[in-house]
Amino acid sequence: MSAQFFLQQCLIGLTNGALVALVALGYTMVYGIIGLINFAHGDLIMLGACLALSLVTAFGLATAGPTATWVGIAVLIVACGLFCGTLNVCVDRIVYKPLRNAPKLAPLVSAIGVSFIFMNIGLFWLGPSDRSFPELLPSTNLLPGEGLQFTWKDLLVLVVVVPLMLGLSLLVQTTRLGRAMRAVSQDPTAAALVGVDVDRVIAATFFIGGALGGAASVIYGLYINTIGFQMGFQNGLYAFTAAVLGGIGSIPGAVVGGLVIGLVRSLSSAYVGERWTGAIVFAILIVILVFRPEGLLGRRTKEKV
Amino acid sequence: MTPAPSNLPSQNSTVLGWAGIRDFVRERWDLVALVVLAVAPLVVPALGGALGGQVTTLFIYCILALGLNVMVGYTGLVHLGIAAFFGIGAYLMAILTVPMYPFQIGFLAATIVSVLATAGIGLALGAPTLRLRGDYLAIVTLGFGEVVKVTLRNLEQITGGMKGLNPVPPPGAGVKVGGLDLGLAFAIDPRWFYYLALLALAGVVVAMRRLEQSRLGRAWVAVREDELAASAMGISATRVKLSAFAMSSAVAGLAGCLYAASLSTTADPNAYDFNRSIMVLCAVILGGLGSIPGTILGVAILVGFDTVLAPWADSWIQQMNINPSGSSLLSFSGWRLAIFGLALVLVMRYRPEGLVPSRRLAAELHEDHS
Amino acid sequence: MAMKPRISAILLVSVFLAGCRPADPTLVTIVSSLPRTGSAKQQSDTIVRGIRMAVEEVGGRVGPYRVEYLDLDDSTAAAGQWTSEAEAANARRALQDPDVVAYIGTFNSGAAKVSMPILNLGDLLMVSPANTAVGLTKPGLGEPGEPGVYRPTGRLNYTRVVPADDLQGPLSADWAKRRGVKTVCILDDNEVYGKGLADLFDERCREIGIEVLDHDSIDAKAQEFKSLMASVKAAKPDLVYFGGTTQSKGGQLAKDMASAGITAILMVPDGCREQVFIDSAGAANLEGRCFVTFGGLPPEKLTGKGHTFVERYREKYHELPEAYAVYGYEAACVALEAIRRAGTKDRRAISDAALAIRDFDGALGHWGFDANGDTTMRTLTVSVVKNGRFEFEEILDANAEGGEADGQPTGAGATDGAAPAEAAR
Repeated sequence: MSAQFFLQQCLIGLTNGALVALVALGYTMVYGIIGLINFAHGDLIMLGACLALSLVTAFGLATAGPTATWVGIAVLIVACGLFCGTLNVCVDRIVYKPLRNAPKLAPLVSAIGVSFIFMNIGLFWLGPSDRSFPELLPSTNLLPGEGLQFTWKDLLVLVVVVPLMLGLSLLVQTTRLGRAMRAVSQDPTAAALVGVDVDRVIAATFFIGGALGGAASVIYGLYINTIGFQMGFQNGLYAFTAAVLGGIGSIPGAVVGGLVIGLVRSLSSAYVGERWTGAIVFAILIVILVFRPEGLLGRRTKEKV
Repeated sequence: MTPAPSNLPSQNSTVLGWAGIRDFVRERWDLVALVVLAVAPLVVPALGGALGGQVTTLFIYCILALGLNVMVGYTGLVHLGIAAFFGIGAYLMAILTVPMYPFQIGFLAATIVSVLATAGIGLALGAPTLRLRGDYLAIVTLGFGEVVKVTLRNLEQITGGMKGLNPVPPPGAGVKVGGLDLGLAFAIDPRWFYYLALLALAGVVVAMRRLEQSRLGRAWVAVREDELAASAMGISATRVKLSAFAMSSAVAGLAGCLYAASLSTTADPNAYDFNRSIMVLCAVILGGLGSIPGTILGVAILVGFDTVLAPWADSWIQQMNINPSGSSLLSFSGWRLAIFGLALVLVMRYRPEGLVPSRRLAAELHEDHS
Repeated sequence: MAMKPRISAILLVSVFLAGCRPADPTLVTIVSSLPRTGSAKQQSDTIVRGIRMAVEEVGGRVGPYRVEYLDLDDSTAAAGQWTSEAEAANARRALQDPDVVAYIGTFNSGAAKVSMPILNLGDLLMVSPANTAVGLTKPGLGEPGEPGVYRPTGRLNYTRVVPADDLQGPLSADWAKRRGVKTVCILDDNEVYGKGLADLFDERCREIGIEVLDHDSIDAKAQEFKSLMASVKAAKPDLVYFGGTTQSKGGQLAKDMASAGITAILMVPDGCREQVFIDSAGAANLEGRCFVTFGGLPPEKLTGKGHTFVERYREKYHELPEAYAVYGYEAACVALEAIRRAGTKDRRAISDAALAIRDFDGALGHWGFDANGDTTMRTLTVSVVKNGRFEFEEILDANAEGGEADGQPTGAGATDGAAPAEAAR
């Protein structure tokens, strides 16, 4: 098939991958700091999407003018970010915090439990069937010519995701909070000894991870245009895989992992067949991990005796 | 839960008060449970019907969970793809017995072949991935599960795709014992499968007990606690972990064989997806890692909730006519997920080591983090 | 230890009591087994309403019996869809309860494959409102061994009030041909129903000279199909056929198709003929370009009893019934009629009475069962989505279409049926 077709698939893959990466950041941050695979993250995003849909319906955004739409989207992202961030912090306080010293797998099961509870809330919020998320953005092609399709939706994903990821990297690398986060992630006890308020740092991490998820939920609604109470699961599965692929705990790793997963998905759909996509993504994951056991960008951890 | 059988008979015969009985139950919970379960179908008529089938399914999940427990509980390797081995076992059983294929080697032979084959597949997955640590290994098993599911779904010529393979003949199909057609008996009365699954479960429990105490079992625990130290003591971590992989897969394969035979179909590949793996993992952790009674209890609670309690509660609400308008807020299934989730959260909050923690493990894990 | 003989005596007695709950001579129970949790709930809700209305209509009595209805769920919360275990448990439960004389279900053809052999052992009448997979009843059209494998006793107990896919698949292809379609891309959801239908459609297209550019299966759990749609767009088909349901992402597919800029028309089967499909796809994405086939007449076109049902439904629930509500209602009516005709609680007699129905004046019109337990109704409607609703487009009548479609399901089509489908893989 033509080069144009290949480019088109790459575009789709990168856009999709950017969205996966945004979700993966939430996994990787929480994992980096308390070593927990936060299974509820995907469902947290589902709840964010529920809120986004309710807000869109309540304020009639679907029929608003272009300026109002863009402002509305910005407001949505902030609102859902706050909502998901706060919810994530609350869950941490209530559910995970008492388990800080528990066996490693206990919080994992709790996270699965939380994910079920979220799903039930979503079920009451949305009803059992998938719901359509209104198309707020015009579907005009931004690229010249017939062949390549790149619409406002695709642009939106990149416009929101890239700055968020850069901002997060800056935050972690340069700010005081970022330094504290890195310290806690390396050794919570030592961090506490040098005066870091570990609990606050963890709460901040959960808030940031949740807020990114909230932003992702709005983008998801606008880009995919369908939400449903079960969407969190699949979403989470790929994002979590991306986080591990990139090297769990590593922020650039999550981004790279997300993009790789997006690309693999679209290229395998195009050249192998949609039906094998799931298998190919995970087979590649296994192969990569066999050769790079610490993920693409993960640090090789020395074994401590 | 180590039994102390030596002084039991004397105790039992001399003290016949409540205390004696209580001690007996506490020490030999396994025997008591086995007797109760063996007698139950004769006393409880419902077990001859739908309930019997549901409890059989519970037994099968117990076997599956005990298999997972080898990896997660004893050896400390997180496994998120146990359902794949469950599915491979089920499909192998079907391929070896359904009329569509020329093999039709009968239940027992098919079980043996499938169990060995699943163990082999477990080794094949384990060998290249052993150097992965912790959650990386977990994600590889998860990925393997997805690959298996998609492959089962797409290789229609072999697996029947979403239709699955059926009918899987019941054990002893065509065998007549004293005028009783065994196959027909299995097909009609769920109690036959009940006993078969119970027997298999009892066998697995006994095997696991012995393994726990054996050299290999202790090596598993040693590797879980500290791989480096274990290696320093001359334990080959690679071999120990590989054996855990193989054992875990084999037991899951056995569960799969029973599952396919009891349903008389492999069901569709979605029955072996990530959800199922997670459910079993939750059961093992909820019950208590590395603890046999814990694992069984965990399955009884989690799987029992979904397959026995929830349908029962739903039809009870219907028959009581509490919910004439059919609102999902008033039906049990509307709240099923939340109840389920809340149970997981609460148990972990108040008993993070699980409901029946393995004594050794509970002590160690606390030590680890203090 | 001295207790032992007495215990064994009690046990022995219990053995004989086991499973022998006495039947209530004044009561018959009808159960349904449908996916009541998860995404198919909305559709099964309307079926259950239909069944309830049928039972209410006869005043909860048929002949000398009180009628009770029990709504069983064959899905689980964990799976979010039907599971083999739940379906098998429902079947066993129905079999065990001596008052149960009819089993309305299943919704999914895959589930029927699980419960049919179980219920067959007890001769319990099964009336499905929604199964369309051909292999369930029609010899020679499904897998080798079908439908015999579902009838271990060799007797029949399964009926369905909805036409099977051997009608829908080929007739859809014929319709496309008449419309001037030259090339198609076929997608399916890889499930028993959707894939079976898509294969039949595919096969018929090749027979009548429509070029099949691509035939791929989607993962019903995937969230978007943008890459797939880019491939479809590159293939430039006249028509995209999707064998699947709303639950297996029909809506999302339509949506991604529109946003990829594909102008081809979309054709979907009855599994998508529900308002939720339009809602989930977004009405604008389907407007005037999405065609839906459906066995029988749509609710608004029903006359006689069907019209009365629609009116009563609307009165009661303040909305137009989904297409399947009528089938739920009709299935229940068939069950009640069979009980009335049999005049006994004997399950075999009731199954026989149902299978003997040759001329039934029901909500769906005049129809009967053939020797396989299939409906003789051979009408198919095509609807188009307009203004966010399904609008009736035309009737495809297999009997009126002449030899080509009519001879297909039973005659030569049956034998050459398997070969092209095999080649297509």
